Amino acid sequence: MKSRRIFSVLLASALLVPVLASLSGCGGEKVTVLKVYNWEEYIDEGGEGSYLYDLALEEETPEDEIVAPRIVEDFEAWYAETYGEKVKVEYSTFGTNEDMYNELKLGNEYDLLCPSDYMIMKLAAEGYLTKYDESFFDPEIETNYYVRNVSPFIAEKFASNAGLELYPDASGEPILWKDYAAGYMWGTTGFVYNPSAEVSSEAGEAVPLRDLLEEQGWQTFVDPRVKGKITAKDNVRDTYFAAIGVTFEQELLALDPAADGYIEALTAYFNATDEETIARVEPTLMDIKENIYSFETDTGKADMVSEKIWLNYAWSGDAVYALDEAEAGEIDEETGEIVEGSQLFLDFFVPKAGTNLWFDGWVMMNCVEERGTKKAAQAFVNYMSMPESAMRNSYYIGYTSVIAGENAEMLDYVDWLYGEEEENEEDFYDLSYFFPASEDGSPVGIYADEEQRTCRQLFAQYPTEEIISRCAVMNYYREDASDRINELWSRVKSEKLNWWAFVVICLVVVAIALFVIFVKFGNKIDFFHRKPKKGYHKIES
Amino acid sequence: MKIPRFSRKTLCIPYGVFLLFFVIIPMLFILFYAFTDKQMHFSFSNFVQFFSDPTKFSTIIYSLVIALVTTVVTLLIAYPVAYILARSKLKKKFVILMLFVLPMWINFVLRINALRELFNLISQAKPLEGLANANYFKTVFGMVYDFLPFMILPLYTTMLKIDNSLYEASADLGANGFTTFTRVTLPLSMPGIMSGVTMVFLPSMTNYVVSDMLGNAKVTIIGKFIYEYFGTNWHMGSMIALVLLIVVFLSTWLTGGFKGDETVRGTNL
Repeated sequence: MKSRRIFSVLLASALLVPVLASLSGCGGEKVTVLKVYNWEEYIDEGGEGSYLYDLALEEETPEDEIVAPRIVEDFEAWYAETYGEKVKVEYSTFGTNEDMYNELKLGNEYDLLCPSDYMIMKLAAEGYLTKYDESFFDPEIETNYYVRNVSPFIAEKFASNAGLELYPDASGEPILWKDYAAGYMWGTTGFVYNPSAEVSSEAGEAVPLRDLLEEQGWQTFVDPRVKGKITAKDNVRDTYFAAIGVTFEQELLALDPAADGYIEALTAYFNATDEETIARVEPTLMDIKENIYSFETDTGKADMVSEKIWLNYAWSGDAVYALDEAEAGEIDEETGEIVEGSQLFLDFFVPKAGTNLWFDGWVMMNCVEERGTKKAAQAFVNYMSMPESAMRNSYYIGYTSVIAGENAEMLDYVDWLYGEEEENEEDFYDLSYFFPASEDGSPVGIYADEEQRTCRQLFAQYPTEEIISRCAVMNYYREDASDRINELWSRVKSEKLNWWAFVVICLVVVAIALFVIFVKFGNKIDFFHRKPKKGYHKIES
Repeated sequence: MKIPRFSRKTLCIPYGVFLLFFVIIPMLFILFYAFTDKQMHFSFSNFVQFFSDPTKFSTIIYSLVIALVTTVVTLLIAYPVAYILARSKLKKKFVILMLFVLPMWINFVLRINALRELFNLISQAKPLEGLANANYFKTVFGMVYDFLPFMILPLYTTMLKIDNSLYEASADLGANGFTTFTRVTLPLSMPGIMSGVTMVFLPSMTNYVVSDMLGNAKVTIIGKFIYEYFGTNWHMGSMIALVLLIVVFLSTWLTGGFKGDETVRGTNL
């Protein structure tokens, strides 16, 4: 019996260890645990390839002396220094908005989430979220980096609810997006394309892809000349959006961007889920499926780099990543130089008829109040909104931060990445819409070469104001609309069976069933019993 | 010090608990969700919708066909291999068997990803360009590649158990090679075939990682449908899962999977 007692003591102590650890944490110095739930690969993870690392390399620090910690660790240190309290970040990641939503529905709680626009509205409408403190938006407070550094463009979009539908909260008041969300990254969707690829026109002349895109816009998705060379996203939200672009391109182009209510009309087109729209979009989706190489979520970048496909419908941040990756080429290990011919220069294009403008923002779940983590959560958002943090995150993941900087610090960063030394008047890239106005009222922007201004990383990360003015934000689908869209998607993804194929298949299935029954029960049915040959007889067992 | 003794009943407890929490309760959940609507009221609407909607039904049929082709191809490849291995007097046949089983030690997602890259490489050659868009072919290929060991092993172990004297008796009674095969080898290896078929047929209906990675997500099998519905509508997802469960149950029952006397089942895995 003694051994069993020892065993149980061991077991009990094993169970107690975490409890004791947390108790001692409470007794001595209080450690706040902040649970952050973010997209995969959506934050600076430090190490090789991070901003701090590459900056140190540029300053010719020897490689083994470079320190490039994860940004989350830096936040913990900063928090201890600023507030004199300890915080521990429990960082976890999700792959899609819907996956994240399912986690929450199962009852999992996090202090901070980073969903996209339509999901923020859904979560807010369903009462998952808590509002930011009013003091969070007070620019007078030194540590309120978010409100002080956020781009005026983003702040304006958030304040105007960016064309999102309003839903009433529990008390019947309309839900305002800005109360619940602080921005993190933003961007558009468009086509990454291979400028060296060519198709032929009807007259038999070679047409570069760029011209094809300019001419066809969204129709490129169903252009037989790029059959098997283009990809769409393997999720209903993005592909349905694109299919609306294809179906209603003429109507969208006919809208006048200068007219009042243009954005509302555009948003209404791209978010339509009524029966009639679905009936018109469905054949388009079928054509798209027929024409594309694949539905993908993350293989498109690699397929672009390996030149297997020419066009990849992508989020702007992913596009920048693909452009960087293709440009990097192979490094010769001996000389340390790029192998000749291994580089590939890809470009980015946004259809004229309008595209998707999206935001990913930090939101706090209700549990922050009782868990006492609201202060730490808001501090986390503020820390991520320091210009240097924004640079680090943006550099690491390729997406565009919502941060502009009080004195347009991000502009120097953009200039450092994409700008050119000479300041030619005609090379000026105007970004006044995004950055705070300069003191003398002159336009804010950088000098960059033509490629950067029209189709490369700069253009993908910071599109021109003209493009931004033609963008619609996704609304979340209400229950019945969501069902309609899902059914549509399952019709698109599944195989249509012809009647004869159906008959053949049924026959095969029946034949197999008969065969199995024959094998299984054959010896029990007299009909199948073979008579022994003449001169033989069966041995009865 | 006395060594603690456990009765058989106590030794069953861990597995019993596992069974309860990870098999029985989840199944009850599926059943519950399949027959409720979004307001959590009892309803047959999912059931009706499933069978009145041609897309779901045709996807099930389609998955059955893909699984069937996979199984037949796997069987055609595995049977001769197992036969030769079991009957040969090779001293090192362990090595050959190992070569077939070895891929199972590597995670299958990695292997499928590698296969994808291989196909990419091959389809760069001009005459094989069509391979890039041969989504069904690639899907079936990937499934066969993935499940081949599951077919070879049960076949091999059953055939190994066939007594050599039976072959001698067959020869003594004047049977030629073909008759020996149809009257001795085939009937006696039937349990192995059934075991292999179940192990290949059932997972290949739902293994959507293969159809996504090699079929460019343009081939949709029923497993993918369940996954996608669970992103938005758990009730419909549960209904599809339930129907699939019934199909699986039926085919296992028909192939004799519930008989306890077949020692071959699972002896090798």
